[in-house]
Amino acid sequence: MTASADRRPLSGIRVFEISIAVAAPCCGKAMAHHGAEVFKVEAHSYPDVARAFGSAWARDPELADVFCDTGPYVPEMSAGKRSVGLELKQPQALEAARRLLATCDVFLTNFAAPGIAELGLDYESVKQVCPDIIYAGMTGFGVDPDKPYYPFRAFGPNQAPLVGWDALTGFPHEEPAGIPSIAPPDYMGGLHTMLAIVTALHERDRTGEGRFIDISQLETTVSFLGPYLVGQDLGVPEPFRNGNRVSWAAPAGIYPCAGDDRWIAVEVLDDEAWQALAGLAEWSDVPAHDAVDQAALSTYPHATLADRIANHDAIDAELSAWTSRRSPQQAAAELQALGIAAYEVLNHTGVLADPQVHDRRPYSIAPSPRLGRDLFVRNPVRMSETPPYVTRAGPNMGGDTVDVLTEIGYAHDDVEQMVADGTAFVDARPEVVLERPFDRWYESVGIAEFYDAEGNVTGGAQ
Amino acid sequence: MSPAQQGHGPWSGVRVLDLTGLSGAYGTRVWAALGADVICVEPPGGNPIRNMPPLAPGHEGPEASLWWAYYAASKRSVVLDPTDLNDIDALVQLIASADVVLDDAMPAAQEAYPWLADVGEGGLGVAGIVERYPHLTWVSITPFGMTGPRRHWRSSNLVAWASCGLASTVGFPHGPPLAPAGEIGVLMHGASLHAVIGSMMSVRARNLAAAAGEPALGQTIDLSLQEVGLWLSPETGVPLYLDDQVPRPRAGNRRPVTSPMGMYPASDGYVAIIAIQPAHWNAVAQWVHELTGNEGILDEIFIDIVVRREALEAVDAWVEELTARFTKQELFVEGQRRRIPITPVNTVGDLRHDPHLEAVGWWRPEKHPVLGTYTVPGSPFTTDGDWWAWQRAPMLGEHTDDVLSEMT
Repeated sequence: MTASADRRPLSGIRVFEISIAVAAPCCGKAMAHHGAEVFKVEAHSYPDVARAFGSAWARDPELADVFCDTGPYVPEMSAGKRSVGLELKQPQALEAARRLLATCDVFLTNFAAPGIAELGLDYESVKQVCPDIIYAGMTGFGVDPDKPYYPFRAFGPNQAPLVGWDALTGFPHEEPAGIPSIAPPDYMGGLHTMLAIVTALHERDRTGEGRFIDISQLETTVSFLGPYLVGQDLGVPEPFRNGNRVSWAAPAGIYPCAGDDRWIAVEVLDDEAWQALAGLAEWSDVPAHDAVDQAALSTYPHATLADRIANHDAIDAELSAWTSRRSPQQAAAELQALGIAAYEVLNHTGVLADPQVHDRRPYSIAPSPRLGRDLFVRNPVRMSETPPYVTRAGPNMGGDTVDVLTEIGYAHDDVEQMVADGTAFVDARPEVVLERPFDRWYESVGIAEFYDAEGNVTGGAQ
Repeated sequence: MSPAQQGHGPWSGVRVLDLTGLSGAYGTRVWAALGADVICVEPPGGNPIRNMPPLAPGHEGPEASLWWAYYAASKRSVVLDPTDLNDIDALVQLIASADVVLDDAMPAAQEAYPWLADVGEGGLGVAGIVERYPHLTWVSITPFGMTGPRRHWRSSNLVAWASCGLASTVGFPHGPPLAPAGEIGVLMHGASLHAVIGSMMSVRARNLAAAAGEPALGQTIDLSLQEVGLWLSPETGVPLYLDDQVPRPRAGNRRPVTSPMGMYPASDGYVAIIAIQPAHWNAVAQWVHELTGNEGILDEIFIDIVVRREALEAVDAWVEELTARFTKQELFVEGQRRRIPITPVNTVGDLRHDPHLEAVGWWRPEKHPVLGTYTVPGSPFTTDGDWWAWQRAPMLGEHTDDVLSEMT
């Protein structure tokens, strides 16, 4: 596909990204999917953790110099980007960054505000070289040095406890379980940033002016607690963690199924669904259980939502007895046939075997300079006329330095000199192409769409 | 008048019909405050969100839900009866006047809407509607997408977390999997943000095509809750798992990677600490030492995260001696001063009185004709422009007459 035929909404938009981990990178990656040219400007002296993680199978002294290109977070966070290796603490590298910035539309960072200022890339400095820049800074606590938490460290995994999500995760009789192994707040920060950037581009089309955007992730993620925060002034009791139950539908929960650590999520969304569940013939086969309130059971089909919430424990006991005698797939199929929302609690192998995943292929496989080809999640926004895609998986660290700097006017010799000086760097041994141990699964597993370097869907087996 | 009616905000002039419930509400709330004319088309009984607790104490009826009060802010409400031919006609006119429609009906409904009188009994699917109104973007937010063998299966926030693999990793090893943040509905918020970003992208693509003199570029967007979940869970996702073949079982609120890592008891709740880097550990050890006189914790051997993992219970106990002495806010402020990544495990009440949110002037008073006056959260992010215009949520059908008369 040629550039002129590319009708994607961010085609022609250039993004300067200096980032770490998830929050800003997932935003840049999504912009690349919508057609933006995203330059991930990275340095060996302060590498992104996605580079430091690498892959366990690549822990080999022979591969030490290319280890940074092997981690699965590299494509997950940076598919479709170009990597420019600049050690920005060196004046010559900063000058190159400024020349690149002068050609860009968007500046994206989740470095801490003091850190980015130290690098000479605060808003005022960037605006000097690019007056109409849309500058999106993702901070933990904003950019005002006079505010209480300004100097505090925001750390991805500490965001969920800070903004109230952890305390609401778990059962009422236990400590909060929290969500320490996952990072939804980071992704939500990235989505808000993207929304802000598209808005600023829309505005700039009319006004010709840039914009400074401060994504303070505290406010962004606390926003999700809105109804409960409003309730605090109106005398609503504070919400407390309540397992998988909700205040507006019952029963709702995750129930055990036959087998080891097999579970199903069930949520009865309305009275019709409840009547279908209450009418299950098998209910009467469930052995009497001490916890079951037999009086409540006798009125089951007529139970209102309030009744169901009041008798949730009893319903759970009986529903658990029913689910425990079935595989999660069987239970889900039976419940969905009755119009009841239910799904197996999938783990990784479950996702790999999921019929819907096989049919819709929510993963991409695209060419990778280090790994031949690589796997990463697709953008879920499936647009009929301008679908998001990228033509390349994760970039090698510094793999696009020479191309990008020469494109903005540097002579080859100058770039070579910068590399020799250590102010810029290129990827290590580009001729080394590795293969992920599972690479050969791609064709057989069938969870991914294959893209070639032109953005065409090829159907695999290249 | 909505902000859009006042011509305010970067998206003024763009009209959005919101036919969704929770899966669209947060994103369209943000869009409305940024100037889009977001019209909630409600049946006579009201959007289901209007029934969702918590309700304002002492109130019932369509205005009582605080979910509605919060998520419908800056939008307009139009009531149309789907069984009334005149109202169906009005809906078609509204669709024709809109730039974007967000729809969370099940695929079977979206495949054959009976609205347009001239299309016969088969009705018109969303692709056909966009063909007829080629300036339009129609976003279908459905449980599992518009295609595939399970497209007719129902879902919810909880069920979607189950279907994307993430719930299986949240919770204690001895207990069942859990939805992150419970009924807050984080995944639904994510879906709504994707829906709105996709819509903004589509409007942009359409405008660019029009500016280039190309044919009208309307489109459909097919957004699956399951795939929204897959997008925001790489930590537990298939690519990582295939690469390292390491299962990610539920591990409770501490990660057995090293210590301290996870949740520790404070005098009034919990704090979360992550000390992986040597500097962070040294600061923790020094603090414990100052308070408890513990000499052993200063031993250099503990700088190694592997040693701390092997001595996990002992190190955790030492750290708990520190954390249990202070409130979570005291630990937050003093720990951060010592450059330790530590945060309180906040509750909603804590956040309502958080000193930083207070100091940045985040809270905003709101006056509602039924519910009275209360305080609401401010904007989710800020800019150096005059972007935001917040209005109270509309009452049921408050704008029906206005909107319908605008079209005649």
